[in-house]
Amino acid sequence: MLLTRVSLAQGNGPAGHGGRAQALGNASATLAGEVWAVANNPAGLGTITQPTVGLYFENRYLLPSLNVAAVALALPLSVVEPAAAGQPARTSRGVLGLEAQRFGGVLYNETRVGAAYGYRLGVINIGGRLDALQVSFQDLGSRRVLAASLGGQAELLPRRLTLGVYLYNLTQAKLADYQDERVPTVLRVGLAYRPGQQVLLLVEAEKDVERAAGMKAGIEYRPTAAVAVRLGYASLSQQATGGVGLRAGDFQLDYAAGWHSALGLSQYFSLGWQWGKSEMKNLE
Amino acid sequence: MPALATAQNYPRRAPDFERLAQELFAEIQTDQIPYEDLYGTLLTLYQAPLNLNTAGPEELRALPLLTEKQVAALLRYRQANGLLLSVYELQAVPEWDVRTIARVAPFVTVASNTPNSARGPLWQRIKNEENNAVLLRYRRVLQRQKGYSPVDTFQGRPTLRYLGSPDAVALRYRVSHAHDFSLGFTAEKDAGEPLAWRPGQHQFGPDFLSAHFVLHEQGRLKTLALGDYQLQFGQGLLLSSGLAAGKGAETITNLRRASLGVRPYAALLENTFFRGAAATYRLAPRLEATVFASRKNIDASARLATDSLAQFDEFSSSLVLTGLHRTASEIANRQRLSETVGGGHLAYLSADGNLALGLTAVGTHYGMGFQKRAEPYNRYEFSGQNNLAFGAHYSYGWRNLLLFGESGRSRSGGLGTVNGLLASLGPSVDVAVLVRHYDADFHTFYGNALSENTRPINESGFYLGLKVRPLARWEVSAYFDQFRFPWLRYRVSAPSHGQDALLRVAFAPTKTSLLYAQYRARLKPLDLPASLSGRAVPLPGQQVRHSVLLYADVQPTARLGLRTRLQATYLRADDGLPWRRGYILSQDASVQLARRVSLAGRYAVFDTDDYDTRQYIFEQDVLYAVSVPALYGQGTRAYLILQAAFNKHFTLWLRYTDTRYRHQATVGSGLEEIMGSARSEVTAQVRYRL
Repeated sequence: MLLTRVSLAQGNGPAGHGGRAQALGNASATLAGEVWAVANNPAGLGTITQPTVGLYFENRYLLPSLNVAAVALALPLSVVEPAAAGQPARTSRGVLGLEAQRFGGVLYNETRVGAAYGYRLGVINIGGRLDALQVSFQDLGSRRVLAASLGGQAELLPRRLTLGVYLYNLTQAKLADYQDERVPTVLRVGLAYRPGQQVLLLVEAEKDVERAAGMKAGIEYRPTAAVAVRLGYASLSQQATGGVGLRAGDFQLDYAAGWHSALGLSQYFSLGWQWGKSEMKNLE
Repeated sequence: MPALATAQNYPRRAPDFERLAQELFAEIQTDQIPYEDLYGTLLTLYQAPLNLNTAGPEELRALPLLTEKQVAALLRYRQANGLLLSVYELQAVPEWDVRTIARVAPFVTVASNTPNSARGPLWQRIKNEENNAVLLRYRRVLQRQKGYSPVDTFQGRPTLRYLGSPDAVALRYRVSHAHDFSLGFTAEKDAGEPLAWRPGQHQFGPDFLSAHFVLHEQGRLKTLALGDYQLQFGQGLLLSSGLAAGKGAETITNLRRASLGVRPYAALLENTFFRGAAATYRLAPRLEATVFASRKNIDASARLATDSLAQFDEFSSSLVLTGLHRTASEIANRQRLSETVGGGHLAYLSADGNLALGLTAVGTHYGMGFQKRAEPYNRYEFSGQNNLAFGAHYSYGWRNLLLFGESGRSRSGGLGTVNGLLASLGPSVDVAVLVRHYDADFHTFYGNALSENTRPINESGFYLGLKVRPLARWEVSAYFDQFRFPWLRYRVSAPSHGQDALLRVAFAPTKTSLLYAQYRARLKPLDLPASLSGRAVPLPGQQVRHSVLLYADVQPTARLGLRTRLQATYLRADDGLPWRRGYILSQDASVQLARRVSLAGRYAVFDTDDYDTRQYIFEQDVLYAVSVPALYGQGTRAYLILQAAFNKHFTLWLRYTDTRYRHQATVGSGLEEIMGSARSEVTAQVRYRL
């Protein structure tokens, strides 16, 4: 019973992708500047200045049929405006993101292809995403729907406090007439607070129209610029997570492990590679 | 030198225990928190303050008020600038803010590190020590309780009554000097206990007698304790004493325990100490060995086995920890079970003081077989006469990180482990992580490592604490704790798991004022009454409790202090059942009437739906006493306390409390029952400094 609920949540709901977001309890509505913003909140694409490609793998509770694999690409359109007057560097025409994802095994699987766009406007990031989602049951056929999502991020206190909002599937796409089955419509609102240069605190509320509300929280610590240590917790799935991130040149590696009190271990791994002129890089 | 020492003296004021308790404990939800023990520890520190010039890192950590960064900063400062000259100099130590200094000041002193022998021979040092006092306390409930009424008969047999008078009397004497000596004597008679001379039953006048003599720093003999003492090693998994504040609003510093070793015992709790001898000897500059032996008789109820196949002919099924011996049956259980404890500890401390390692062994022998009642939840509890537990602990401080832990194994094969990390992530952020696991058959009688249960047994848990100072004067602290009980517990008839979370926002607008708001939520399953579950077999319900606390402590003028406190609890026994609530609002005022006379009082109004939503509230009591009454029903609670110092030697305290209930014909239950709707109590205490 619990397993079905958890796997459905993982299913066609809003994805939490990237080892960083997962280690932070998936409190990811405020995260920006990394390629996985394409899945977590496309508004966060707005501060990307270099083309980046990312790979992501996830395994839940050591069950192969709950695997997720995703590949994402973020492409800044046009020229990069350098950082000035307290504002980070940005591209004048925004950033395009693309992502393909597969969840599940042979009996049941979901495939999703999405295109996203993020743009930075002053202290605000805005973004949107369009998904083509396919749900397949072995021998029972499959369904395809389109889902549209919107996101925004605003710096309430420059470099200290950020508000992030992500509304997934505002079109309320329908999967089947039977029991009016729809792709979940989920609203996530989060706050990110930086009490110092090295520390990031996250808290987020999540509400699926048809399910109980949940709270998520995460903490990230960067002892040096290249290393990050993270902890997180999500109340709805009752899962505690922890992870590390390493930056090596143009590569970014993130690993996270989650522990569910009843179901056990989950693992998440992502790899990012960026190319292009590095002096324009926005270090978060 | 003495003249210089007086010139440097900081006027040490008695700590405000009520406010400190308020800051250390999040919210009391059971009677079982050993706050009295912790209070005793703070008092010991107040009586024999820690010398900041000689204190090592472990001793500084034992003050539950300093962050890891502050401990490290003080040690660095001492290394760079030499000895401190006065407590005022603490303001120059990096990371030490005014609030911390104000909180710590009652428990510390700054003295030269003159060797003890330079101050004359021991008897002269004891004779000349200023830190000494005789204390006599009297307490009595004014209304007549049922236990003191004349005996009548029920079904031809006389009913149970208290054998002693309703007066409670305590007498204590103590003289001590930190790092030198401590000498103390305590006698106590609780209300209802008879005074008697019965050497056969080990009673010599008052019900409880305790004495100790402890010497420190005698060459390589670091500590020698005779009489009553306590032991504190590692994280308190096997041996712990009075330093366990547990989960509270100090979400970071409460977690770690300091490995303090042998400590004198001078409190009034009748079951939290060892009686015998203990010694710590310095084997090598970095290596210390402690051996200890204790033998005392403890209270226990005894039963005779009716089953001829039973393991023991005569066995004890429960230890009685109240320390009350008022009725014939309580007296019969008094000191029935002999307990012999012996063991040792080996400690290593690295040259820079950052790495500490230790090994502990504790053996216990009971004079008669011990077996808990044959209930399913006692399936893995200790039974037998002997227990032996081994443990190893570590603590490693590196920059602003402290890594610590302890693991142990008891004779049953049960394992227990607790491991934590404290880190200062930045100038304004501290985090703490603690992972614990105690097997259902891990048996430790004197351990008190951090746990949701009252003992470290049958539990796994993960704790995350956070403290942030986003702006000057503001502090946000939070913790989240997730725990699991793999086996049944008392009143929980299934394996269960739960969560506990706290958020406190505190604002200190001035040096003396403090405002805060606190929210705590806890999910902890508990068996539903049969009437609610509708089943013959008990079934745990998902009991949820939400608590809020608003607190304001202000000092409008130098002589007047005002405190307001609002506490509310919402409790639900299971999903879908109705919420029950409890509420209390209290107002305190304290006035400095004259230079040596102060008066304080409180008026509180409470209203709770039932006993489960009862409210615990800290109260000011006479010095060295602690009062945290549980209030339920509807009514008011008021107290008035007067403190007057007549001269340098003589101080008097008087306290009167009054609780009035609405819609109740009786107060209390059993032999404590009072006919009527009010309960009042008077306390008088005198202190004489020799």
